Amino acid sequence: MSSDDLFAAEEQVIAAAQQLLDAGRFADRVDGKLYEELLKDYQKLFRTTRRLMKLSDRNEQQLNVLGQEQRKANEIIAQKNMALEVLSTKLSKYLSPQIYHSIFTGAQGVEIASSRKKLTIFFSDVVNFTETTDKLESEDLTNVLNRYLTEMSDIALEHGATIDKYIGDAIMVFFGDPESRGVKEDARACVRMAVAMLRRLRQLQAEWQGLGAEQPFHLRIGINTGYVTVGNFGSADRMDYTIIGSAVNLTARLQSHSEIDGILIGHETYSLVKDDVAAEEQTPIKVKGFAEPVRCYKVLGLYDDLAAEGAVIREEADGFKVLLDLQKHDRAEAIVALEAIVARLKS
Amino acid sequence: MRDKLDIEATSRTPAVTFDFIKNHLKITGESYPEDVTEFYGPVFTALDGYLSKLGAGNCRFDFELIYLNSSSAKAIMMLMDKLDAAAKKGASVEVYWYYDKEDDTMQDLGGEFGEDLENAKFHLEKMPG
Repeated sequence: MSSDDLFAAEEQVIAAAQQLLDAGRFADRVDGKLYEELLKDYQKLFRTTRRLMKLSDRNEQQLNVLGQEQRKANEIIAQKNMALEVLSTKLSKYLSPQIYHSIFTGAQGVEIASSRKKLTIFFSDVVNFTETTDKLESEDLTNVLNRYLTEMSDIALEHGATIDKYIGDAIMVFFGDPESRGVKEDARACVRMAVAMLRRLRQLQAEWQGLGAEQPFHLRIGINTGYVTVGNFGSADRMDYTIIGSAVNLTARLQSHSEIDGILIGHETYSLVKDDVAAEEQTPIKVKGFAEPVRCYKVLGLYDDLAAEGAVIREEADGFKVLLDLQKHDRAEAIVALEAIVARLKS
Repeated sequence: MRDKLDIEATSRTPAVTFDFIKNHLKITGESYPEDVTEFYGPVFTALDGYLSKLGAGNCRFDFELIYLNSSSAKAIMMLMDKLDAAAKKGASVEVYWYYDKEDDTMQDLGGEFGEDLENAKFHLEKMPG
């Protein structure tokens, strides 16, 4: 039906009214004039109605076109978002999860900037990795290395570490940025992570040997706490979120001085974790850039683990703490000392 | 009588520029106000005041509308009626309707508005540029 058909009835009314006027059917001229004006107003109202209807239809049509364009735009946006999400997931593999999260939530800027923070830093390195894996085929070597790094990274992330970088088989992580649970808790988490890594390494050693490695793998680990400069370093086009400073260098040195499958920690880390970690002071090491030899400690284990193994007795309450290292002291000596304390308490 | 009426355009209402000294009145932009009476009421009042004193003077009114809803179209027709009535009383009124060269509907609508003007002189023009 055309718009003309829609108004056929109105057209007929107008035509009939016009015929009446044209035929001079009004004997009274006043009535005729009134009728003529009425017809004129009716015709104007009729035109107005048609215009408004036409305009309304045009606007509705435009609205539909815009709606369709909007839907198409939404589809394109959804596709682009999906592509961006896939890309960002791929890119995220190249970043520590905390750094990735900080950047994507806007908490972390991507400009060249840095700040000073006290962090606990961790370095690990596989002892003689090249020699140990010399007889492995390239594919097997890749699998072994990736498996090792994956396992260690999982443990690092479980403990809240920020993975700074992998340097071949070496791993560098730190605690305290961009998220920190406090300097003390960061240091504790780092040492707990190192102990968990060594435990997992022992499980992996058998697996690696099964793949053809003639020698079992071993690690050296160094941990240190100190002020570092943390932030984005590099150029505006290519930057790394990393840490620099003498505390970082010292950690690397501690790692190189560590015993095989051992953890060597610096003095500040030790003072932060000594309530939880059994450690033994080592001969201070000379480190380039440090005037005095650096005090360091070999980690013997976590008191919780040692207590479970019966190697230590540990009791703790408010204002009351007993720690007996049964590996260091003769039991009889310990009993004498404890009895003396009990006697003093009773008196 | 005031010398001017200036109403700035918004996302829903057109700019109104009535220069009563120069006898040049203009409405530009899009028109789909939430309340058409609230918007056009002051425009009608200002125009009525001006036209009542125009006598046999000259007046030019430019419409440069890109989009208008049905209520606005009715308001525009009322403006046209006022202008035509002033012309009937002896004023020299010229109405310019500018349309976007790609908008046939606004061209047709302007043409139809022009047909209703019996006394004012009507011009249908493409928007410049």
